[in-house]
Amino acid sequence: MLKKMISAGSRLNALYCSDARHYQISFLSIFLLAGLFRLHWPLSYAQIFITLTATLSTQYIALRLLRLPMDGLKSALITSLSLCLLFRSDHLVVVALAGILSITSKYLLRQGGKHFFNPANFGICASILLTGKAWISPGQWGSEGLWLMVVGVLGMLVVTRAKRSDLALSFLLAFGGCMFIRMYCWQEWPADALLHVFSNGALLLFTFFMITDPVSTPQHPIARKLWALAAGCLAFYLQAYQWVNGAPLWALFMLSFITPLVDHFIKARKYAWTNKTNTLNENTKNIQIA
Amino acid sequence: MKKNTLLLLCLLLCGVKAHSFCGFYAARSDVKLFNKTSQVILVRNGERTTVTMSSDFQGNVRDFAMVIPVPTVLQEQDIRVTERRIFDQLDAYSAPRLAEYFDEPLCQGRLRAYPESTVKRSAAVMESDNALSEEKADYKVAVLARYTVGEYDVEILNAQESNGLERWLNDHGYKIPEGAEEVLEPYIRSNMKFFVVKVNLDNFNAGSTELLRPLQIRFSSPKFMLPIRLGMANGEGSQDMIVYSFTQNGRIETTNYRSLRMPTDRQVPVFTKENFGAFYTALYKRNLQKEGADNVFLEYAWDISGQSAVKCDPCPSQPPLFQEILSAGVDWLQSNSWGQYSGSLFFTRLHVTYNRKDFPQDLVFQETPDRSNFQCRYVIRHPAPYTENCSEWNDYQTKKIAERKQELRELQALTGWDITQHRDYPYYFNGYRVKTSRDERTGSTTQNCEAPEKIAAIQMEPAKRDSDTSTLVAVQQQAFIPSEKSESAPEPFPYSTIAMLTVTGLFLYHRFRS
Repeated sequence: MLKKMISAGSRLNALYCSDARHYQISFLSIFLLAGLFRLHWPLSYAQIFITLTATLSTQYIALRLLRLPMDGLKSALITSLSLCLLFRSDHLVVVALAGILSITSKYLLRQGGKHFFNPANFGICASILLTGKAWISPGQWGSEGLWLMVVGVLGMLVVTRAKRSDLALSFLLAFGGCMFIRMYCWQEWPADALLHVFSNGALLLFTFFMITDPVSTPQHPIARKLWALAAGCLAFYLQAYQWVNGAPLWALFMLSFITPLVDHFIKARKYAWTNKTNTLNENTKNIQIA
Repeated sequence: MKKNTLLLLCLLLCGVKAHSFCGFYAARSDVKLFNKTSQVILVRNGERTTVTMSSDFQGNVRDFAMVIPVPTVLQEQDIRVTERRIFDQLDAYSAPRLAEYFDEPLCQGRLRAYPESTVKRSAAVMESDNALSEEKADYKVAVLARYTVGEYDVEILNAQESNGLERWLNDHGYKIPEGAEEVLEPYIRSNMKFFVVKVNLDNFNAGSTELLRPLQIRFSSPKFMLPIRLGMANGEGSQDMIVYSFTQNGRIETTNYRSLRMPTDRQVPVFTKENFGAFYTALYKRNLQKEGADNVFLEYAWDISGQSAVKCDPCPSQPPLFQEILSAGVDWLQSNSWGQYSGSLFFTRLHVTYNRKDFPQDLVFQETPDRSNFQCRYVIRHPAPYTENCSEWNDYQTKKIAERKQELRELQALTGWDITQHRDYPYYFNGYRVKTSRDERTGSTTQNCEAPEKIAAIQMEPAKRDSDTSTLVAVQQQAFIPSEKSESAPEPFPYSTIAMLTVTGLFLYHRFRS
């Protein structure tokens, strides 16, 4: 009996570990619950429901039309959780629009067999630009020191599974380095003011969950690092000099326009989510759309 | 580079006593300053910001001075004085309110509640105190402009080093607290100018008992923030600030601190009315302990556009009129007849209690498109008068006792006050007291507060001011003195620790597994 339970457990565990997206879904859900019940976000259940429905149904329709495996629904779930965490609007129509735009961007804005916008990022930025009825609340996380650690470690876990921690680290190096030089070395702000900039849940969530998206970022390892460094510098410029709220999100949105160019000139193997397809992809073309 | 112009405006007041809104007052000699909660009105339209600062300075006006860093050299027309009553009116309009309802008499139509015009507002006031120091001279400071505006003399300074600025200020009669130099440095490095204010004694009627009028400045800059750091240069303890804002699109919120809504729409015991101010102060402090000190609290948000029919509900005072809104710096509305206006306008009230430890950065704001209304509203509900021979009365009474017990629990949860002294409250209403089975047995007035079912033989008897009921009356009168022990902070649930342990466990598990 015990043996059976252990083997069932290890099978379940193997299934769970076979796809980095399982981790992401779990952790994003934890964040959402913490936001709702611990941080008291003014986030209605209706908004969560509409976001989930809009993204998942759009993804389902797209998968049916393109005759692709239903595995792609996991990505849509991640997108909808990211939207719930970062995107705020009073109008449910705008919420639905963000969900639909996120997913359609994956199928319409493509180059070289892959999409080049992070879906949630595109959904958020495009909805804000198009409607003006939505916003990002970078301050909603507060800055409890331990939460910083929690988000950081959780994020790290995900990216080490997805093997894209180089992106997160490059981004942090550029953004943090510039902030450090400007605020601490030049303007002589005290260390806790600098630390306060980084103990922001939205920044860490972005760093470890959004910019590390292995599909929409450049595929070549060196190009990818340079691209993340550029994103960090752009985010720094927008935040420090242009006073843009949620600067990292806008930096990623802007830089995503050049991702196809980078991929066009610097060729590399495409990424696939699951271990199985990843090995298959050694020789065959990947049609996975995550 | 365009860096300097992009580095927008920062605004701060500095001086001896750290009491003011976004900075500290500069007294020109050692005087006892007393300053209540500081108040600021922010008006934001695109990149144009108007800041009105109310000074509750109550010492000798000779000793009044303040220093505000600004991003550009302000012109004379960008500085003006306004009337104090705008602040009083905005405070009256947006303060947390207590709405009073009366249950209708029974057996005379349906039981229904209606709002009464009686609305109380709270005046939560928190103070702090600070020390001062002195230093001496040799400085690289240029005076860029000099104006006299109303009763104030204004100078715009350009400083190259904080050390020089500090000495300049000290030598010109502004006592700067110790530690101000390192707080000034970041603003100088950001190429800000300093706006220095003293009272012009010729223009100020010395015999006047009036307080100094609020000072208003206007500038254009993408940066939407309030510098609070200078006010905390030597600040030990916390300072309290209310920020009112008028915007076109919607509510404002802080982007580098969490903006939280205060608990609202709670039904509390009727006796709360007698000391609503103490109630709200206790509630605010408890909320601060519960949610963390590094938060900003939303107390009011309302769409007061010209076309909006309901500008408050219930209204503790008249909503702001066109003339007041205009003098606060709103310039995009069109005037109609009778003080009315047309155009889009949104009002927000934020409450922040800041200190050096929890607020390492200045407050940065953003204007969101959120136009949903919010108010801090607490409700009291008076019971219906006793009706004899009324079949509905017993049901009503049982329901009411349960409701009033819930009110007590709510009061305890909100303020942390000790409610054991109010055990009689659920049974005592409108001059009548519910007689319980226990009363009959023991003849005592001590009520059994455990469950409504235990209250048998419900009947009303007129409250007598004899020895039995006098304890009850006394209890009601001393209702609002919270006991020390009940003020203690609630033990926070260790979410973070549990989450950390789980993650570390998971991480180690995967490490060793692979």
